[in-house]
Amino acid sequence: MPMKGRFPIRRTLEYLQKGEIVFKKPVKIMTVNYNTHGELSEGARKFAFFKVPQIQYKNPWVQIVMFKNLTPSPFLKFYLDDGEQVLVDVEGKEYKEITQHVRKILGKSDAVLQAEAQQESANPANFGPKKYCLKECMSEVEGQVPHPGLVPLPKEMTGKYRAKMAASSEG
Amino acid sequence: MFQALSKTVRAPVARILAPRAVLVETVRGRKSRTDPKAKSKIGRIKYPPPVDPEEMVVLKERFTEYTLIMRALRMQFKEEMLRKRYDEETGSLAEARAKQEAEEHQSLMAWNNQENERLRKIRELRVQQEQEQLDRQLREVALARQQALEELVKEKELEILTLQEDAKTFITLENLDQRIEEALDNPKNYNFAIDKEGRVVKKTVMQ
Repeated sequence: MPMKGRFPIRRTLEYLQKGEIVFKKPVKIMTVNYNTHGELSEGARKFAFFKVPQIQYKNPWVQIVMFKNLTPSPFLKFYLDDGEQVLVDVEGKEYKEITQHVRKILGKSDAVLQAEAQQESANPANFGPKKYCLKECMSEVEGQVPHPGLVPLPKEMTGKYRAKMAASSEG
Repeated sequence: MFQALSKTVRAPVARILAPRAVLVETVRGRKSRTDPKAKSKIGRIKYPPPVDPEEMVVLKERFTEYTLIMRALRMQFKEEMLRKRYDEETGSLAEARAKQEAEEHQSLMAWNNQENERLRKIRELRVQQEQEQLDRQLREVALARQQALEELVKEKELEILTLQEDAKTFITLENLDQRIEEALDNPKNYNFAIDKEGRVVKKTVMQ
């Protein structure tokens, strides 16, 4: 079954995860005003078509609204936490330029993203299911007693041998 | 196990030497609460394992020390972590970081405003040029229309003049008689042939 739509690659996880813009915490709403015809709006149209899905995937809690054919010139408007509104004029710009511009003013920088990724990685001190932790049991660590199900314990460590010894020494 | 022991050790040491008749609580296990006790187990009384008092005393001391140290370590690590988290969120470091972020935000907004200004100027220029072009076009159109009108007027004037000229040769009621006389006096012969250049070639004789 073929993919649906004009550029169905926009719907693939691989494409979405390659999104560059991760907004800072205060950004809550993004509004894109553009026109469906006209060369000046071309960059904004491509931005809305190609980049907005990536942005929404990376920022699921930011509301993104698109307005078409309301104003003569295209622009982006961001509404921040403290009521501040940031206007970005995009008339005549290429869509890659727009992305770079937005990333510079309101996106998290590479350093911050790396630090966050590092923090999120699994804590080796936690033991639990493979999905959340690195190891499930201490027996998986090198240098520790292995799991008796995989490697039989030496006779002296087993409970029944010890019990037998204790019984034979007492009785 | 040790909790059960500690309950009994609180009593004086002499009582421990006797067989301990403490009834340990029953645990449910396989049977439900309505199932009767097994016939072989009706008179059974479970006793906890015997305790050596000297060993008990020594063990108790050691365990108090051990648990004290472990608790102290745990509390210390917990406090360290909490302090770090507090510092990160509401400490002096966080304030400095917040201030720095605010400054960066301000500078980025300023840069954004500059970009907007630059684009605004370009846009104004473009709009102005477009307006000028539009004006020029309108003027040209108006000019062309005016010229067309003038030419029309000229043509009409020429027509009028030619008509006026022709009017002199018209036959009116006054010259009627005169013109009739003239026409009768001068008979015209229209029977002639012309060649390709338009020159008269031959004429028939008037009859």
